[in-house]
Amino acid sequence: MGTLIQQHEPGAATSASAEPAEPGLGTATAATHRVFAVDGWNDVAIARHQARRLAREHGTSPRRAGEVAIVVSELASNIVKYGVRGEITLHVATTAAGGVALTVVARDVGPPIHDVATALRDGYDDRGPLDAAALARRGGLGTGLGAVMRLADSVEVRQEPGGKQIIATLARTDQRA
Amino acid sequence: MANDGEGVIAIKEARLMRVIEALSYASIEDYDSCLNLLRSLGTTDEFAELETAFTIFIEELAEAKRQLREALLSTEVANRELAAKLATIEMQQAAIRDLSTPIIEVWSGVLCLPVVGIVDSQRSADMTETLLETIIAKQARTAIVDITGIDVMDTKTADHFIKMAKAVRLLGADCIISGINPGIAQTLTHIGVDLTGIRTLRSLRDALQVHLRETEQLHPTRRLEAGH
Repeated sequence: MGTLIQQHEPGAATSASAEPAEPGLGTATAATHRVFAVDGWNDVAIARHQARRLAREHGTSPRRAGEVAIVVSELASNIVKYGVRGEITLHVATTAAGGVALTVVARDVGPPIHDVATALRDGYDDRGPLDAAALARRGGLGTGLGAVMRLADSVEVRQEPGGKQIIATLARTDQRA
Repeated sequence: MANDGEGVIAIKEARLMRVIEALSYASIEDYDSCLNLLRSLGTTDEFAELETAFTIFIEELAEAKRQLREALLSTEVANRELAAKLATIEMQQAAIRDLSTPIIEVWSGVLCLPVVGIVDSQRSADMTETLLETIIAKQARTAIVDITGIDVMDTKTADHFIKMAKAVRLLGADCIISGINPGIAQTLTHIGVDLTGIRTLRSLRDALQVHLRETEQLHPTRRLEAGH
């Protein structure tokens, strides 16, 4: 389970917080990133597949690549459901220890998350529990952010003027298969 | 046709009529006829300067119109191509949606849902809905969910899969989950899901064999019926 960091930056410019914090393990020796625009379900599928591919190309285990793909998929789905439109950036960095640190930054122009702690609960959105009718209307299980928390080592939520960012980092040592 | 020094120019009526005729051709965008008329005026005097200027204007207008028509045409072609591409993308999207939940009736009354790739909460919910609907539509007795192709699953999604199996039982069909890999087995036991009443088998082949053996025992003739 990842640790949660919450930041409210009412006055901060969006660009000031565009770069995610350096992944925690070791100094990055090589880094690359890919940006996926998210404006519909099609984009979610593309981001999900490309994220897995990119992770595998950088030598992660199939399991880790699957984890980052799920994180990307859940965050991209949330952009479509709540965030109006946005983008997913996947940062891949090779750590000094020879591991691969993956950072997923989901940025959107939608409304802020009303209550992050509530939104993280399974079967809840940011205002409370999702009943069956609400779930049928919006699709899914209401467990997306919870899944991100479970799969990532740290999750940071930055509420900003005109949008928000969610930064999920998978940096623990990968059990290579 | 002489300049009398008082700023008056006299011209033949026929010449003026030709210019007026040329103007009327221009007004109906028949620039070729217009220019033919204008160019056939051979005289060189002050009125001819006006005619020349008019000719240049018409030539430029004709060229501008031609370019506009070409631009419109190429835009139209591009739009048609774009529409065709969008239609293709839509068809592909539909195909991908179908592929992400491919429910195959492998035997009479036996549905198989092979789950391949990345399963997030959205896809998991979609699968359940489609599987339950298909069980009713096909009046299936057995549903085999084969998850060999999954590397990793969130615990809540795994839990949802077990709930899906239970929902299948509520509809009066059996649900077999096959192809659980060690990682997912650990996930399921880690979250402590209640696996009672859920039949899990190692492979799709095992699942099919079990189903066939059981239906044969229960209804010795059904195998023949089904195998037609």
